[in-house]
Amino acid sequence: MAWRSRAFSYGVVVPFAALLAFPFAWMAVTSLKPEAQVYDPTKVWSFHPTLAAYGFLFHHTDYLLWLRNSCLVGLMVVVITLAFAVPAGYALARLAGRIGRALGVAIFLTYLVPPTLLFLPLSRVISQYLHLSDRLWALVVVYPSFTIPFAIWLLMGFFKTIPQELEDAALVDGCSRFGALVRIVFPISAPGILTVVIFTFSLVLNEFVYAITFISSSANRTLPVGVPTDLIRGDLFNWPGIMAAILLPSIPLALVYNLFLNRFITGFTGGAFR
Amino acid sequence: MADIDEPAGAKRLTRRDLLRKAGVGAVAVGAASAGAPYAFAGPMRFKGRWLKGDLSIIQWVHFVPAYDVWFDNTWCKQWGEKNDVQVNVEHINNTLLDTRAAAEVAAQSGHDLFQNLHPMASYEDQVINHASIVAEIEHKVGKYGALGKASTYNPKTKKYFAVSDNYVPDPVIWRHDLWNDIGQSPATWDHVMAAAPKLKAKGHPIGIGQSQELDSDMALIAFLMCFGAFIQDEDNRPTLGSKRAVEAVSFMASLYKKGEDPAIFGWNPASNNNYLYSGTASMILNAISATRTPEQLNLPFADQLWIWPIPAGPHGRLGLEHVMGCYNIWKFSKNKENAEKFLADLCINYKQATLASQLYNFPSFPGAFPFSAIRKVAAADPHKPKGKYTILTTIAEKYTHNIGYPGTTNAAMDEVFSKYLIPQMFAQVSQGKLSAADSVRDTNNVVKDIYAKWKKRGKI
Repeated sequence: MAWRSRAFSYGVVVPFAALLAFPFAWMAVTSLKPEAQVYDPTKVWSFHPTLAAYGFLFHHTDYLLWLRNSCLVGLMVVVITLAFAVPAGYALARLAGRIGRALGVAIFLTYLVPPTLLFLPLSRVISQYLHLSDRLWALVVVYPSFTIPFAIWLLMGFFKTIPQELEDAALVDGCSRFGALVRIVFPISAPGILTVVIFTFSLVLNEFVYAITFISSSANRTLPVGVPTDLIRGDLFNWPGIMAAILLPSIPLALVYNLFLNRFITGFTGGAFR
Repeated sequence: MADIDEPAGAKRLTRRDLLRKAGVGAVAVGAASAGAPYAFAGPMRFKGRWLKGDLSIIQWVHFVPAYDVWFDNTWCKQWGEKNDVQVNVEHINNTLLDTRAAAEVAAQSGHDLFQNLHPMASYEDQVINHASIVAEIEHKVGKYGALGKASTYNPKTKKYFAVSDNYVPDPVIWRHDLWNDIGQSPATWDHVMAAAPKLKAKGHPIGIGQSQELDSDMALIAFLMCFGAFIQDEDNRPTLGSKRAVEAVSFMASLYKKGEDPAIFGWNPASNNNYLYSGTASMILNAISATRTPEQLNLPFADQLWIWPIPAGPHGRLGLEHVMGCYNIWKFSKNKENAEKFLADLCINYKQATLASQLYNFPSFPGAFPFSAIRKVAAADPHKPKGKYTILTTIAEKYTHNIGYPGTTNAAMDEVFSKYLIPQMFAQVSQGKLSAADSVRDTNNVVKDIYAKWKKRGKI
């Protein structure tokens, strides 16, 4: 009986995993092909691996700089997001009644305004009032505008699953409210906070519209802007280079996701069950 | 001791003299060769110290990498050192230029020189009048080409809202081997229609897009013109709603059904190129990037790619430019004088740019590098079939028109172009959603509204 159940599980999971892994395998193979071979219809299935695309990436573009910029902005935005979202999420979770709910929904709604509309007024703010044009600080200031609402909403749901009685017990034992928050609530909320960290970092790593609008010099570009700018020349796509550029950061990100998968799932579904 | 055979007054060359003269000669030759790449713009007056003025430029990542290398490392460097100006150039992907322009206008802050690949007529109020720059260039190299002037001059407001440094012809690129197999060639649109089903049956469809992107826009507007249908007349009044436009749209829908692939409705600007590089397409309309790339990559059919002017329609052979390089100087630019001088000098010396671009860029001021001279360079191109690029000069000279021909490129035309109304008009019929008459009528109504809006604003 057990082997049947296991066979069924594998029967479902293996094709699904293969389907999801296929783009990554394709990326890896393409990144190792010479550029001419990618376009040559007679050589679709022939494979003569070369590291030329990686060499081009590291020696002829500012790839490492883009990677560093993306990580730097990502880390700063994560810190800012947590600094705002954790207390706000906690406060909204504990604000019972209509006001709390309405505020929660209102905050989430701001997340839904698309960057393709917001970039116009924001360019004036960044350029004329903050004087941050072409500086990474522009992104550090702007990105929390969409990461904080989502993080608050996510954490709000998570904090609601933590029984009020636990905090009350800590207060009775002599903890201050802040102490109860730090000693009791935060440790239990680790999966939720971790989810926010990973999700925020991924959002920043993928963001394109603000990055292309506010940053212009190659040295200050982030990965999503640097890749299409330097690896697509008019209508010529450097496919091996593009694939290599995308594959490299996706590997550590995939490892981090896998490492914290269980906590990540708990974080996302935390607000769903009570 | 002097030699008795030595003529009077002559001085014997000692070993020391020889070394000294050789040294001076070597230094002179070295200095001359070091300055060679800069020689065309005169001596450098401020080399070796931080330059006083500033100039920021934004433009596309050129298809030909060598062009960007020349522009950034030779031309800008040399010009900056000669004029005591620190020049900073930023390159972004061409599809992102419109977004960036919108952001700069919204912020009222940005680059001193902004180059786009189409005339941004709708930003006329945001830019200076470039008339003095045009006059300066004309003074040095002769008249502004008709194509450049029609693309950047508003006859209503008497304002040059940009200066075009270059344009790129948009020829038909076709696989000679495939067409030869069926005994045809794309000389006219009727020939294309006759060949399309046979080519498709052999697995090599025609590759003309009907999607919301630049290449489809260009190809289909030119196609309309070949059928005698124009978006506007010579006085910039909308004229799309015509029987000829209906005929053209019906013809293209039929061509799609007989000889194209449904993928054309979702194409981006690189799709037709990739379609050709994959060995599938038998014919596309594109700049010569579509032939240069297979040559560089040594694709098996590179020698079979032929370049021709757009096929003739009932109204003739009327093509468009593929892209139109246009520089604007914003009113809020901080270094207008430097930008003006830079732009004028670039256009005056455009021969270097055309050569650096491997004949991708044709000068908008033809006097800077006359067609006869370009033809010689094109004819000397070593790629097979020998002389395949010679026709490009004829295409650039005779069959290339501006967006909005026979009128000028204006804000209304810019909006029609940027909203991809023409590809939509064709696609709706090809996909069977509307009849040709209904699609042309609906699009014409939208076009008329756009023209009315810009007329009200005093721009046409």
